[in-house]
Amino acid sequence: MSSEPGGGNGDLDTPPPSEPLGADPTAYAPSVGERLAFYERAGGIVTPVITAVFAFFMGGLVVLATGHNPWKVYQGIFTGSGLNWFFHFGNFSITIPGTDHHVWFWWNTSIQNNAAYNLQQTLLLTTTLILTGLAVAFAFRCGLFNIGGQGQYLIGVITGLWIGTSLPHLARGPHILLAIVVASVCGAVWAAIAGLLKALTGAHEVITTIMLNWIAYWIGSYLFGQGGPLQNSTNASLPVSNTVVDSAKLPVFWGNPVLQGLHIGFFIAIGALVAFWFVLNRTTLGYEVRAVGFNPEAARYGGISVARNYVVAMAISGGFAGLAGVLDMLGYQYRFGVLDVQTSQLGFIGIAVALLGRNKAVGVALSALLFAALLYGTSSRSIDQTVLKPELAGNLTLMIQALVLLFVGADVLIIAVWRWRRRLLPGRLRRTQPAAGAD
Amino acid sequence: MWRGLTPRETASLGIVLGCLAFLLALPPITARAPWWPALAGIPAVGAGIWAVTSGVKRLGWLAVAAGILGTALGVLATNTSSSNLDYVVSWTPLFTAMLAFATPLTFAAIGGMFSERSGVVNIGLEGMMLTGAFFAVLGADKLGNWALGLLCALIAGGVAALIHAFVSIHLRADQIVSGTAINFLALGVTGYFFIQVYGDQGVPGSIPRVPTVNLNAIDGIPLIGPVFGHLNLMIWLTFLTLIVSYVVMFRTPIGLRIRSVGEHPRAADTVGISVYKIRYAAVILSGMLAALGGAYLSIGFVGSFNENMTAGRGFIGLAALIFGNWRPFGAFAAALLFGFSTALSFRLAQPWGNAAVLFQALPYVLTLIAVAGVIGRSIPPAASGRPYRKQ
Amino acid sequence: MDAAPVLELRGITKQFPGVLANDHVDFDLRRGEVHALLGENGAGKSTLMNILYGLYSADEGEIIVNGKTVAFSSPHDAIDQGIGMVHQHFMLIPVMTVTENIVLASEPTKGRVFLDYAGARKRVEEISQRFGFAIEPDARIQDITVGQQQRVEILKALYRDADILILDEPTAVLTPQEAAELFAILEGLVHEGMSIIFISHKLNEVLEIADRITVLRRGKRIDTIPREGATEASLARSMVGREVLLRVDKKPASPGATLMHVEDLRVFDDRRLEAVRGVSFDVRAGEIVGIAGVDGNGQTELIDALTGLRRPSGGRIEIEGHDLTNSNADAHLEAGLGHIPEDRQRRGLVLEFSLAENLVLHDYDKEPYSRFGTISPRRIVSRARRLLSDYDVRGGGPRTPAAALSGGNQQKVVVAREVSRNPRVLIAAQPTRGLDVGAIEFVHRQLVAERDTGRGVLLVSLELEEILSLSDRILVIYEGRIVGEFSPDVTEEELGIAMTGGGREEAAA
Repeated sequence: MSSEPGGGNGDLDTPPPSEPLGADPTAYAPSVGERLAFYERAGGIVTPVITAVFAFFMGGLVVLATGHNPWKVYQGIFTGSGLNWFFHFGNFSITIPGTDHHVWFWWNTSIQNNAAYNLQQTLLLTTTLILTGLAVAFAFRCGLFNIGGQGQYLIGVITGLWIGTSLPHLARGPHILLAIVVASVCGAVWAAIAGLLKALTGAHEVITTIMLNWIAYWIGSYLFGQGGPLQNSTNASLPVSNTVVDSAKLPVFWGNPVLQGLHIGFFIAIGALVAFWFVLNRTTLGYEVRAVGFNPEAARYGGISVARNYVVAMAISGGFAGLAGVLDMLGYQYRFGVLDVQTSQLGFIGIAVALLGRNKAVGVALSALLFAALLYGTSSRSIDQTVLKPELAGNLTLMIQALVLLFVGADVLIIAVWRWRRRLLPGRLRRTQPAAGAD
Repeated sequence: MWRGLTPRETASLGIVLGCLAFLLALPPITARAPWWPALAGIPAVGAGIWAVTSGVKRLGWLAVAAGILGTALGVLATNTSSSNLDYVVSWTPLFTAMLAFATPLTFAAIGGMFSERSGVVNIGLEGMMLTGAFFAVLGADKLGNWALGLLCALIAGGVAALIHAFVSIHLRADQIVSGTAINFLALGVTGYFFIQVYGDQGVPGSIPRVPTVNLNAIDGIPLIGPVFGHLNLMIWLTFLTLIVSYVVMFRTPIGLRIRSVGEHPRAADTVGISVYKIRYAAVILSGMLAALGGAYLSIGFVGSFNENMTAGRGFIGLAALIFGNWRPFGAFAAALLFGFSTALSFRLAQPWGNAAVLFQALPYVLTLIAVAGVIGRSIPPAASGRPYRKQ
Repeated sequence: MDAAPVLELRGITKQFPGVLANDHVDFDLRRGEVHALLGENGAGKSTLMNILYGLYSADEGEIIVNGKTVAFSSPHDAIDQGIGMVHQHFMLIPVMTVTENIVLASEPTKGRVFLDYAGARKRVEEISQRFGFAIEPDARIQDITVGQQQRVEILKALYRDADILILDEPTAVLTPQEAAELFAILEGLVHEGMSIIFISHKLNEVLEIADRITVLRRGKRIDTIPREGATEASLARSMVGREVLLRVDKKPASPGATLMHVEDLRVFDDRRLEAVRGVSFDVRAGEIVGIAGVDGNGQTELIDALTGLRRPSGGRIEIEGHDLTNSNADAHLEAGLGHIPEDRQRRGLVLEFSLAENLVLHDYDKEPYSRFGTISPRRIVSRARRLLSDYDVRGGGPRTPAAALSGGNQQKVVVAREVSRNPRVLIAAQPTRGLDVGAIEFVHRQLVAERDTGRGVLLVSLELEEILSLSDRILVIYEGRIVGEFSPDVTEEELGIAMTGGGREEAAA
């Protein structure tokens, strides 16, 4: 039974807020903005860490229940991911690119080093996950749930390959630039379809982006399939695309290019993180996006166009995801086949990355690193077979991801942790915290 | 001639004429001159336009579309080699395949209907279906009986749905995130245990499967006989489920209460209906039904299990539900349509090769159009997706 | 009419955070009577009835039904005792039929499994005929009028064998004809032995329908009188009378040029009904125009149209000669309009934003805060610092999230933002709702200061003393029309009468 007064302003005679007589038929889901605001207020790094730990713990239980040693498994994943590289200090040196000078460096960057190799692979995946995570995070900041990162990623792959495998006589710089621009724009357009539908007809972006995911899936299957327009022109029985021409490949700055080294796309991803932060916190566009994400009604009263921001936010999100696709193609994969289209999950993992990272730049970065380490550490190339079969390990990753999503989606865990914090640090928390915007 | 008919009837007639325009060029009629399709198609467009101007927008535009599309496809068909036509448009295999493809979709869609009509969005249908597929195989194999396999599937699907229900209803989490999590969880759990249990050898070839129902008496009837004569038991179960779910949802008090909870939970609460209990029951039921769909896939149709064997069928089921306006027969019609387009794409693979694959995207394109309200708005239950806080 | 009370409320007290909603209220209802509960917004009428219906629990006091003391923990218990309630916001499911809505949760069945729709329909028809309604049992709620929907709500109570019926502001959503039909139905119900509690603030209706009238004011029962001998004036005095009047010191107004000109404005509400039916008025420089009226008479839609958030269906809006009738919110803001919105938490502020970011909600994309699309936080923060100190906002600094502030300080932020933009016309909608005395005083002083610097102020408020103390001219809005213009020395009773539709010679059209 309620002991609260009626309308929220202390007005006694308005009845308690009830579901309106004709609830908006196009309002298909609760306000993402409200949850978003709550997460940001619950703030800090504590809750994401706890969520992750919890998820790993539950995953470990499954491993234990099936007769394997969870501690060894996680250790194996850790070394497999190359993160142990950070813990080996010593006297090493690196060569400044373009010259012969050596500079002292405390980590061993030699390409023979096994841990270094693993780390490079992990960072390759981190690049992708940062971008697909940003794709989800940016939309969330505008109050939109972009599940379409996978489809937007595929569009980026397709268009990036299209440019990257053609025009062999174009100079390197312009070729790469063209591919990146085209792929990002196409990814943006793919997402903007959902944004437009929401702005014009109120169609919920969850449904439309899911549909667009699958449409992209089948377009990719068609294009790379046998006889498809983008299929390999030399080997007609292989349902794979052509290979990216050398002039379009991104330069590798660490590792052996033949064995898949880390390409400069990594820095582009870092740049995207910075751009994400900058746009949201230092531009008028970001101000509008955040206002709409927190409180569309107040934004409207302030003169901001909510519909326009929906379209723009989705477009930028799609741009990030499309960028992820093209960087993967030009950076290390160089080709994509029907099987890849149908098994790719990097866009979906972006959802967990964004949510765990609380839709903030730093969070997305760390979260992307975590999931990339998990992904690579459990892959067949790196995990120790005696500890856990790679197929099992791969599924373990999926389970951990799911658990992260489950716990992130439930406020209760966060509320519980939040209250726990209050009990431990009463004095410090009484003072007002910096606002969500100043991050 | 129009004067005798209402606009709605005219529009319906237009749709029929449009379909007829296409059908004329197909076997078994196989008219080869292009003016036959036009003869049926142009009046269809006319009827549609007349209906639209008389205010019947949705059906009217459908009639116009049917007319134009029917004529175009009909003319296209008259220009195709008749051997190709005969191969692709062999009705019996098409319809049989259509029913087989539509079955898992229908189970998922009806499950989704119960959940969404009670106000809980269930994006996790895909995961629940996959869970059902795996545990049906596991159960049938280890317990030696396809019925027990189905039972295992039901329980597994119910458990998966219980997680979703708990997180969405009790913890009031975001239902989309929760549903997505269930999908990943199912993928991970089924994959993990599949490898753990069947890893190296794969599923044994002789697991008990759901039997076919052989109605030899009707074998002689053209079209009906071959199509309905040898359907799997679960396809018949689909028909039964359809009827039962329609009756329950629209002709019983419990259905009325479920719908009230999904439309206006506060109003339902004030007359004493337990919103939480109904939502829990509806979500768990949806998981069980989706699991049955998955079970059909594994122990009814294929006879085995592969990782991620549902490959998006749960989402097509969701699309069918939306396209069918959250009603069982509408969803079934949509599922049949989507099943048909999948069946067609397989048969088209012969003459068209790779391009037939694009047909697989048709369900999603159609749903996109439906959600955007182009052919009349597809309206979900009003309170769908909002956690309910009891006051 | 039997004199034995069928219902008694004794000493009902209910405290909400910060406010005493019901203060030892006594109330009784006799069999077969219509007992009206009268009072202003905030008097405690709805709270009292919600307690009776089991939605709230009283802190003190007793409820006695037919001589037995009862305790309600939910509407169920109240329904079991024969109490039915028709809420102001209907609890009806739009896509379902009348019959379905009425029988929900008490459905008649065939063989315990199937819904006996035909049987339900018959029963519904029986009841409606017995009590003299006309309804279509198979119509969907979304397709019938509001008046008919209300009848469905009444039928819901009758179907469950209620003999005490509570109606909460039933005519708030009805047209005059529908109200007349409702009264006929109520008389029919009384004839059949029902007892009715009728909550209202409309004096003329209360005098028409009630046998006895209880007046509540600020949570206390002021008086219970029989209808004979009650007049509009005496009721208005009981409803609204008060010992101390908060008056702001202000110089007399010297209005100048017309800043805002509104002519024959017509606006539809969300239900496509005309909420504003031809309103015309001017706001001149250096004056405060107050619009008084009971909630729901078109004020919200009027303000929406004036601020560009809703397109009018007819008429004109001009600010300093510029036609803004069909412009959007941004254009209105640019043209010199300021708006202190009604609901500061939902419409006035983005609670998760810092104070600095909220203060710049209209100007974030203009110099000097923004250049080439980027925002300079430094400039925004320093301006915020200045504003926060000028307007004495307590509870945080420029970087504090708005949610951390008290209601009064939040409102100060909104006021600071709007006033510091130097608007030509400032519209203030319920600017002091939910604020404490100090904050109220502050806001009032700001509004007067605005007026003294030559701006025009349009004050729309449900608080009569606010209107009276601030306005230089008072307009009364009733059912979408301006029904009177008064000078500030009008009495509250006169205003109250005009606000509740009385005192007009011509009957409702």
